[in-house]
Amino acid sequence: MGEILLVTRPKFDDATEYLSYYASLILKEADNLRIEKKDFSGKEVTSKNISKFIEKKNPKLIFVNGHGDPNSLEGDEGEIIFSVQKNVHLLKDKLLYARACNAGLIFGKEMVKNNGGCFIGYNTPFTFWIDGKYSAIPAKDTLASLFLMPSNEIVNSLIKGHSAKSSNEKSKKMMIENMKKILQMEEKNEPGAMGWLGALWNNYEGQVVHGNEEMYF
Amino acid sequence: MNKQESEMAKEKEVKELVLARISVMPPNYKLSVGNKGTFTKEEIINHIKERDEIGNQIIGIEMNFIKALTSGKLLETLNR
Repeated sequence: MGEILLVTRPKFDDATEYLSYYASLILKEADNLRIEKKDFSGKEVTSKNISKFIEKKNPKLIFVNGHGDPNSLEGDEGEIIFSVQKNVHLLKDKLLYARACNAGLIFGKEMVKNNGGCFIGYNTPFTFWIDGKYSAIPAKDTLASLFLMPSNEIVNSLIKGHSAKSSNEKSKKMMIENMKKILQMEEKNEPGAMGWLGALWNNYEGQVVHGNEEMYF
Repeated sequence: MNKQESEMAKEKEVKELVLARISVMPPNYKLSVGNKGTFTKEEIINHIKERDEIGNQIIGIEMNFIKALTSGKLLETLNR
């Protein structure tokens, strides 16, 4: 058996509904690639469940979806699952992608301090536009996919064997392609297209890698 | 115009610029801003007008983009 992928995806508001759906696409791809994985979703995303699993199974790649701040990453209903004071020791030598706000500012740096691990995340709020017509069915929301598919590309690339550095670059390249698509939509007078660019630029500029960039899954 | 008046005028200008960008959004679009929540166009406009924490965060994101646009950084990135 190879390395293990751990995915956390709480689902309690519009933002986490979307992140959870997009994380499910990664889980499907992991199935296709026959990668061993563990999915904690919705109410299962508790600090106790996650720390117990990491201690027992030692997953190499952790994909965290949800809310965050400079010091921490959250699970269901705002419960802190990792912070600079809590459970950070469990992440030593691991590869973690946090699709959450601001955790690159402090938490990400702390996570990789004095070890060979790698953190990918954001120095800014993770921001995306959604089409309210589809808020109950994220799969049909093509607007949200402009923001969320590039972030999926990070894990998609990691589970296919690319390094953290290369996966970050592929994701950023996809963001650039999507910015170009948005500009073409603007030329065709798509209402509001120009306004989407601000959010995508924010994610582009805020996406950072800390620690061992050459790390592989 | 003294320094304080100049800063107030600049702040008003920034707020109006961001409001203009948001006001062209169709009403069914919502913006998810990290852990602050997901907001409709009307809610975004209210937060910006009130200059509360959420409004300031949205202004910050928009201003960062406008700076990238006017400095040529955006174009340079797109042409890479």
